[in-house]
Amino acid sequence: MIVSTLTIVLVILLIWSVYYGRNIVRTEKTDAVFGNPSRALRGWHWVIAGATSIMLLWFYFSWDIARAFIPTSGNELCQVAKLNRAVNPIRANFPLDNRLLRGTLLLQRDKEQIQLLQQQLDKMNFAPDESPELRSIIKAMDGVLTAQTDPAKIDPQIVAQFDNIAMRISYLVDQMSVPNYPGKPDFTEQAQAMKQSDWGAGTIELPVLPMTDRGRKFAAASLVMHQIAKDYMAIRNNGATITKQLAEIRTRYQNFVVRPVEDAAIMAQHKRFIRQIDKIYKRIDDGKIFPPGLTQAVEAALIRLDQEQHRQQGTLFYIDALIMPGGTIMAGNSACSEQGAGRWLPKPSDTFKTFLRLADPAVGYKGTPLLWYEMRPVAEIVAWVIPDWLPELMPGEYPRHNSQGIIVNNIKSKTYNFATGNYNSLSVPFPIGHIWDSVVRVLAGLLLGIIFGVPLGLFMGLSRFAKGYFDPLIELYRPVPPLAWAPLVLTIFGIHDDGKIFLLFMVAFAIMVISARTGATGTQLSKVHAAHSLGASNWQILRQVILPNSLPEILTGIRIAIGVCWGTLVAAEMLAGTTGIGFIENVARKQSDYEIIWVTIILLGVLGLLFDLIMRWVIARAIPWRGKG
Amino acid sequence: MIMKKFIQISSVTLALSIASSAIADVNVAFFLEWATPNQVAKVEKSYDSALGEAVNWTNFDTGVQMTEAMLSGDIDISYSQGLAPFINAINANAPIKLIAVAVQYPANDCVVRDGEGIDSSNAAELEGKAVAVPLSTMADYSFRMMMRSLNIDVNKINIIDQAPADAAVSLADGNVVMACGYGANSMAKMYEVGKALMTLEEKEAAGIISFDVVSVTEKFAQEHPDKVRTFLEVTNQANLEFAASQEKIAVIADDAGMSVTDAQKQMSEFVFPSNEQQLNEYFNSGGLADIAIKVVGNAFATPENPALDDYGVAIDTSFLK
Repeated sequence: MIVSTLTIVLVILLIWSVYYGRNIVRTEKTDAVFGNPSRALRGWHWVIAGATSIMLLWFYFSWDIARAFIPTSGNELCQVAKLNRAVNPIRANFPLDNRLLRGTLLLQRDKEQIQLLQQQLDKMNFAPDESPELRSIIKAMDGVLTAQTDPAKIDPQIVAQFDNIAMRISYLVDQMSVPNYPGKPDFTEQAQAMKQSDWGAGTIELPVLPMTDRGRKFAAASLVMHQIAKDYMAIRNNGATITKQLAEIRTRYQNFVVRPVEDAAIMAQHKRFIRQIDKIYKRIDDGKIFPPGLTQAVEAALIRLDQEQHRQQGTLFYIDALIMPGGTIMAGNSACSEQGAGRWLPKPSDTFKTFLRLADPAVGYKGTPLLWYEMRPVAEIVAWVIPDWLPELMPGEYPRHNSQGIIVNNIKSKTYNFATGNYNSLSVPFPIGHIWDSVVRVLAGLLLGIIFGVPLGLFMGLSRFAKGYFDPLIELYRPVPPLAWAPLVLTIFGIHDDGKIFLLFMVAFAIMVISARTGATGTQLSKVHAAHSLGASNWQILRQVILPNSLPEILTGIRIAIGVCWGTLVAAEMLAGTTGIGFIENVARKQSDYEIIWVTIILLGVLGLLFDLIMRWVIARAIPWRGKG
Repeated sequence: MIMKKFIQISSVTLALSIASSAIADVNVAFFLEWATPNQVAKVEKSYDSALGEAVNWTNFDTGVQMTEAMLSGDIDISYSQGLAPFINAINANAPIKLIAVAVQYPANDCVVRDGEGIDSSNAAELEGKAVAVPLSTMADYSFRMMMRSLNIDVNKINIIDQAPADAAVSLADGNVVMACGYGANSMAKMYEVGKALMTLEEKEAAGIISFDVVSVTEKFAQEHPDKVRTFLEVTNQANLEFAASQEKIAVIADDAGMSVTDAQKQMSEFVFPSNEQQLNEYFNSGGLADIAIKVVGNAFATPENPALDDYGVAIDTSFLK
C-alpha cells in the first residue's frame, strides 16, 4: 500500500518536474549565453527529477513495484516455477533451450572417446596377442553405441515407455486446458495456503502453497509432471540384445589380464588403459542414447505443454517479462526464491525496514547500535587526552595487596587511575555506534591530512628546496592504492583506530598536498608584486595573498578527499573489524545478506552526500569570489 | 511500441544467456593450499575424460565467493566449500545443494599467544579480551563450539573480525590474545607465537569436527545429474587411489601450490570418506554430517535468515549412490 502510493507519487513528481523544467526553458528570458556558468544555477526541479528517476528505477528493478501492485503474482509465478522445475529434467534432453539433442551430444562425445582409445592403443606397446583382443573390445563398444541409435534394434518395450510418457504429458496438457482443473480446492489445504504470510512479509521469501486458482492449476500440474519426469529419467536403452552385448564386453575386458611388463611405468599405463575402457563402458551402459525419431513424440508433447502453460499463464507471462526485469522466480526443493535483480537488488521497502530494525539501539548490528548515545563519565574523556605514561614518572612502586587483602593506593596508582579515568565523575551523553565510529575515523583522517598536507603543499609551491625534496616522496606513494597499504598498516599500528585513521590520512594527505601546491603556484604574480610593493612582509603575503588565492583549490581538494576517504573506509575497516559501516558490510557479505549490504551502501552514499553538501556550503561562504575573478 | 521493445530486449538478453550457458563446459570451484587427492584427477584430466568435456577449474579465496559465483551461474560445482558459507547461503535461500562431503578435517584451531598463560583450563580469562575471528567461517564455527564446550560467554569476548593472514599479524603483535583461522601459512605463523587452545583430542572429545562439502547449483543438478554423478565417481576413485598409494603427492602439492612436506602434513589430518562411508556414517540420521549441519545452521542463523527446520531439502545424496 505504501509502496504503491509512493510509486504513484514519484511518477507524478517526475512528470511534473520534467514538465515544469521544460516550461521554464521555454519561457525564461536569459541574457546568459552558452558557456556562462550562471546558466547552471538553480534548477531544483531537476534535482527532483533526478532523485525520483533513481527511486523509480530502484523500485522497478528490485520488483518492489511488482510486489506492491500485483502481490499475488509472486505466489503464482512460484507455482509456474514449480512446473518448470518439474519438467526441466526432461526438457534438458531436447534441443528446446540447447542446440543439440542430449543423445546427439552424448553420442558425439562417446564416439570421440572411442576413437581416441583406438589411436592410443597403437602407441601402448601391448603384446602382439593382446592388441587384437583390446581392439575387438573397443570395436564391440562402438557397435553397441551404433546399435543404440538404430530404431530397428530397439526393444519394443522401450518404445512403449516413450509413447507412454508422451501420452501422459499430452493428457496433462489437455487437463490443464480444462477451466476448473484440478477441481475444487480441499478446504484444509485452502486454509493452510491462506495462512501463509505474504510475499516478503515473513521470514520466508515467497509463499509456497498456491493461493489462487491459477496457481493451484500449475501446482497440481507440477506434481503430475514430477512423476512423469521421474519415470522418464528411469528409461534406459537396455533392451535384451544390447544388455547381452554389453555383458559380453564387460566380461571380456574384466577377464583381460594385463601381462606383466618389466617397465613399471608401461605396466601402469596399460592398467590405466583398461580403466579407460571401463569408464567408457560405464557411459555406454548408462543407456541414455536413443534413436532420434523415438523421442520425437515426447518433444512434440513438451512443445504443446509449453504453449498450453504459456496460454494458462496469461497476463502472468507479461508481468514476469515486464515488471520483474532481470530475473525470475525460481522454485527450489522447499521454497521459491527471487533470482537475478530481485535477489541482489533488495526492495526499497525491505531495505528501509532492515534499516529501521538496525537503527533500533536495542538491536543494532553485532551488539552495537548504528548511532546512539551512552552516558560516559567525564573522567574517561579526560583520560583520553592524558598520556598513559604519566604515572611512570611518579616516584615509588605500584601498591600490592596486604595480608588483609586490601589494596592501599599510593601516589603512583592514584596518578594511574587518573590517567585511565578510573575515578568517579559526572556522566555526560556521548555518541556511540557504527556510524559514529566511521564518521570519527573519516574526520580524523581528513583533519590530519589537512593539518599536515596544506602547509606542506604551500611550502612546496613556494620553495625550491621543498618542491625538490618532497616531490619524489609524495609522487612515489600517491599512486599506490590505499588497500595495498593495509597489511603494512596492520603490522605497524595494530588493530585499533589509529591504523584505520592512518590509512585514511594517507589518502587525504596526498590530495591536500597536491591541491595546496597547485593553489600556491597558481597565485597571480601581479597580486604578489602589488602586496610586496605595499610593504607586506613574507608572512603577510602568505597569509593575505597566497592563502586566499589557493583557497579554492584547497577546498576542492578537501571535497575530493572526503569522497575518497569514504571510499577507503570499507577497506580500512576490513583490516580488523569491530565496528563501523565497512565492518557491517564485510560481515553481511559473508552471510549473503544483500539487504544489509544495501543499507550500508546507502548509508555510505548518504553520509558522503551530507559531507559534500556541507563542503559546498563552506565553499560558498568561504570563497564567494570564485569564478568571478 | 515500448512493450514490443521491452520484449525484444528481454528476448535478446535471454538468447545471450542461453548462448553463454551452451558454450560453457563444466565449471568447478576449488581452493588453493588445500591439498586433496582429486587434484591428481584434475591434473591428469581424469574428470575431463570421464565427463567427455572440458572441466574449467577456478580457484577461490573463500566459500562465500564460491556461493556468489554459483548464484551468478559461472560456477556449477564447488569442490570443498566450507560448511559455514554453504549453510549461510542456504539460510539466505540460495538455490544450491549439498551433494557430498569433500573432506573432513580437525576443527580449525584457535591459537593463544604465548605468555598470556591461557589454556583450556583457565579459558574464562578470555572474557573481556580481544580475540581475532574470521566471522561466519568454519573458524568462527569452531571458535563458537570451543567456547561452548569450555563454558565461556562469547558475548563477553571482544571479537575482532579479521582474515586469518591479518589475524596472524595481530597475534604476533600482541593486539589480540587469541586468533582463530585456517590456511596452512597463516596457521603456521600463529603457531610460531602461540599454542592451540584445545588439542586435537580435546576437540574430538567435545565433538568439534569440521568438514568441507561438494555443492552444486540446483539447476546443474537437475539438468545434468549424470555429470554430477560422474564427478563424484571420479573424486571417489581419486580418493581410493590416494588411500592405496601416496606416490602422487608431488602432483597434489604442486597443484595446491604447497611444498610436498606441507601437503603431506596437511593431508595427514584429512579424512576423505568414500561414497559408501558418506551414505552410512555421515548422511544417515544421526550421522556426522546430519548433526553438524544442524549445529552450524543454528550457529549462523540471523533474524533475517533464520535456520531452516529441516536442512534435508538442501541435501541430495542420491548422486553418491
